[in-house]
Amino acid sequence: MKISEILNENIISIDLKPADKTEAINMMVDLANNSGKIIDLEKVRACIFDREKIVSTGVGKGFAVPHGKTDEITDVVAAFGITKSGIDFDSIDSEPVNFIFLLVGKDSLLNAHIKLLSRISRLMNKEDFRDKLLLATSPKEILNLFKEEEQNLIDI
Amino acid sequence: MEYIILILSTLVIFSVLLSKFGDDTGTPALLIFIAIGMITGSDVLGIIYFDNVNITQYISVVSLVVILFGGGLNTNWKYVKGSFKGAAVLASFGVLVTTFISGLFIHLILELDILYSFLIGSIISSTDAAAVFSILKGKNLKLKGRLKPLLELESGSNDPMAIFLTLTFIELIKNPDFTVLSFIVFLFSQIGLGIICGMIFGKILLFVTNRFKFSYEAFYYILLLSSSFFIFSVTSLINGSGYLAIYISGIILGSNYFIHKKSSIRFFEGFSWLAQIVMFITLGLFVFPSKIPEIFLPGFVISIILILIARPVSVFLSLMFSKFSLKDKTFISWVGLRGAVPIILATFPMTNGILGSEIIFNLIFFVVLTSVLIQGTTLPWFARLLKLDDNSANKIQSPLEFENNPDSNAKLVEYIVPFNSRISGKKILDLKLPENVLIVLICRNEVFFIPKGNTVINEGDILQILLEKHQIAETVKLLN
Repeated sequence: MKISEILNENIISIDLKPADKTEAINMMVDLANNSGKIIDLEKVRACIFDREKIVSTGVGKGFAVPHGKTDEITDVVAAFGITKSGIDFDSIDSEPVNFIFLLVGKDSLLNAHIKLLSRISRLMNKEDFRDKLLLATSPKEILNLFKEEEQNLIDI
Repeated sequence: MEYIILILSTLVIFSVLLSKFGDDTGTPALLIFIAIGMITGSDVLGIIYFDNVNITQYISVVSLVVILFGGGLNTNWKYVKGSFKGAAVLASFGVLVTTFISGLFIHLILELDILYSFLIGSIISSTDAAAVFSILKGKNLKLKGRLKPLLELESGSNDPMAIFLTLTFIELIKNPDFTVLSFIVFLFSQIGLGIICGMIFGKILLFVTNRFKFSYEAFYYILLLSSSFFIFSVTSLINGSGYLAIYISGIILGSNYFIHKKSSIRFFEGFSWLAQIVMFITLGLFVFPSKIPEIFLPGFVISIILILIARPVSVFLSLMFSKFSLKDKTFISWVGLRGAVPIILATFPMTNGILGSEIIFNLIFFVVLTSVLIQGTTLPWFARLLKLDDNSANKIQSPLEFENNPDSNAKLVEYIVPFNSRISGKKILDLKLPENVLIVLICRNEVFFIPKGNTVINEGDILQILLEKHQIAETVKLLN
């Protein structure tokens, strides 16, 4: 499964302005609701916060990937947001977060969920890719950047 | 006795092995099972002479119970809720329309007696759950949006109406003065009691499964299996539709959490396939292929009427006010697969001593075969043509499945190794993880592998960690 296939323009925001981490996650979950694949929005929200409680998903280099698993969705749900000014996400490296990728997978499709997480972290670990994302001026441009970057991935 | 066991087991083994051939050539598995029965049977190889209508009915009913319960178990109410209205109309009104339109055309074109025409129409009026389930699943056909739940719900719930109509016309043929009123009462008790019993028994079964802690996992399966037969028979005995009841009970269990749910679903999946193999071989054995040529022409005419006229009209009328698009409705019309239920219903005129019932059976058998052959084999192609297939969601089996177990606090947590992490470049051994905390699987660059103590961790790795709930905090501290 490709990231560019689960994203679309309705679930990408290039200018989120959350006050703190909690608001950021709430904004991302609401954004993800535009996918139309969420059955119970509040349960999805709860599963994300539950996962966040175990350990922050701010994995460093300005990137956070809040995620969770629930059967309250009809299919994999994602959302991508950029906060230009950066927010505190309790990240490991204490850096402010500029990129948030939300991923909600189905309980029954654990493998696909983990693989997607792996692909996201693989893409977001590239510095030049992060720079390009930050300069994007529209959700459409973000989507195209993901498409391009995924084409360059060598499948191992 | 060993001789019989040898033959029967050989048949099943052949069915399983040849299903591979079906996969490669796109032949629906049930056709292969029927073909094996026909070839072994009285007419062709003559290995088994079998013409017992009662045993045939018996085996078919038992198999259907397992198939319907398994189908329900695999259905989550939350996903099918949206399709309920459409499916309910298709399963009641739609079946009625199919019966009358095919009956009318059979009467007009084949000039058969009007009651016999309607009897045939009613027998072929229900789509078959086993056929639809197995083709949707076996062909790995992913349909978009609400189509799949609609088709499954419809095929799982339209049998009571077909059974009702069949019994009504049999009664009308046997007894011309018979009042329709008593049969309307019969219909309402079938559907009403079917739904009520299905819900009550489903809830009880759910409660019982979660309440009792058996020491052997297998006991859960046995409880479910025997309960499905219990629900079927009790409901049928009080004049409710047992088929509807077990399907609903299955859905109730499938929509809720219960202990060993995943493995129970898998158990029923295996058992359903066995039931299908046995049932279709039996039906194949029961038919006499030498009788097919004489009914070929009328059989073909009936199939055409059903596939091209009755089913589409019934679908378009039933879904007139729904949100389904023209493309959707066209496709739903094409998934009017007939299967075991019509063949089983075709044995009813026989056990009721209706004149010419053998010809009716052969006709129905032929119609089912053509329906599966024509519609079943072209379904994936048809879905692609109408762009209704959904190949983005190819289901990948998880290399690691984890089921919550009542006896343990174990939990599987995924952890993303942060970029520039302190532990990146370290060996697992050197992390000094607490006892009983295990990194069971690592996903690196989308490839899974099982780590060893000297595996070096990289940034961006996704670790799947098995631990006890109270160890989470301690473990996270070591990893960060």
